[in-house]
Parts: sequence; structure tokens; C-alpha cells
Amino acid sequence: MAPITFNCTIQEGMIPDALRPRLAAELARVATGIIGGDPADVAVHYIEIPYGFGFRGGYLSTTSAVRGEIPPGCDQDTRVRLMRAIQDLWMELTGCTTDELVVSARDRRV
Amino acid sequence: MPYYRCTIPQDALSFEQRQEIARAFTDIHCGSTGAPRSFVSVAFFETAPDAAAEHPTPYYVDGANRAGRPESVKQQLLSDLTDAFGRIAGVAPGQIAGRITENPASWTMEGGFVLPEPGQEGPEWYAAVAAAAD
Repeated sequence: MAPITFNCTIQEGMIPDALRPRLAAELARVATGIIGGDPADVAVHYIEIPYGFGFRGGYLSTTSAVRGEIPPGCDQDTRVRLMRAIQDLWMELTGCTTDELVVSARDRRV
Repeated sequence: MPYYRCTIPQDALSFEQRQEIARAFTDIHCGSTGAPRSFVSVAFFETAPDAAAEHPTPYYVDGANRAGRPESVKQQLLSDLTDAFGRIAGVAPGQIAGRITENPASWTMEGGFVLPEPGQEGPEWYAAVAAAAD
């Protein structure tokens, strides 16, 4: 299992296929730049929710959720720096707003 | 957060049913916890007829919430959610189950803010969330 894993839940039609490899590479670069490790060891998975199957606040969702699993023991300042860096790169590359993104960095369960 | 992942059999629910369930979940969650409506995400994942069973029942609600609420609140929330799901979907109680798992609020950033712990949401936080949603 990779030391760092990202499960990115995205809504159909929101993130072009062509952009996904670059997003994955940037997630790996940013994450390892902050918490260490080799970008090649970072696993990024996309889970696409078909149109009409994802809702937020009771309405069709345009929100992406980037859920990271990182090695346990990360201090909160570093965790926040990581989440903010992910938010910044995702917004820059996809053009989404802060309201269309949920980022988490949870400890990997051991 | 919260995020409710609903597993359903393929072609079991119409769009209107899925939307009604999503709205009911939003009402129930926000009524129970006071969370902003815009934070409640609900997604449906269909399972193919020949797929291996992932859960003990054909319909399953897998919720992920902020940690820190009393067990009684979590149990009531799950009960209300599965009741609403069953009513809207026309599913018998024995065909639906669920669970709610929790993670520290401080592990999630939403709307540009690190989430506060349950009960620690001050008026400034609600105002900031509302402003971000505009």
C-alpha cells in the first residue's frame, strides 16, 4: 500500500479526462513536498459519480472531494498546510471555487 | 462532511427518488446537528446484479461525519436516515442497513475553512460559510 493515497470523488462532466494525470502528478508533488516521501509512491484514484447520482444540500452536486490518507502522526499545522496546498492546486487546475471542493488529510489506519 | 454513500442495486431508484432521499438526508442531518445544508453530500453507487455483496443488505447507507457527537445522537441519526430511505425507496426495513463512521473535524477543509469540532461552530464560522457559498 502506498504511503500516501488520494481518493478523488468527482462528478461526471466536471473534471476532463485529459486533466486527471496532471492533477494526480501535482497531488503527488505537493504532498511529498510537505510531508516527505517519493512522488512515485503516491497513489491517486478517481471515483466518478454519474450525473444524477451525486447531491449536495439536496441539489445536484458539482463538488469534488479529495480525500487523502497520510502516515499517522502528522502535526496539525502541517496537515492544514497540506490541505490548503491541495485546495490551491485543485482550484488553479480545474477552475472550481472553494465551495466546490472538500479536502481531507486523514491518518492512515494501522 | 457529512458524506453519505448509499449503495443500491442497479436501476433500483429513479432520479426523483434519489433526489428525494438526498433532500431528506439533508433535512435530517441538519435538523439533528445544526450543520449548514450546503455541507451535506449524498452519493448513490449502483451494484451490478452479479457483483459480490459488499454489505449485509442490498441497500446500505455509509455515513462519514465529524467526530464528537454522543452515541445516542449518532444512533438516532442513522435510524432516521434509514427510515427515510426505506420510505422513499419503498424498501422493507430488513433490506437496508447502515453505519456512521467519524473522523476529527480538523482533518477536513471545506469551503476554504478547516472544520470546527461539533458544538464549536461560532457565528463567525456560519457567516464565513454563508459568504463562501454566495
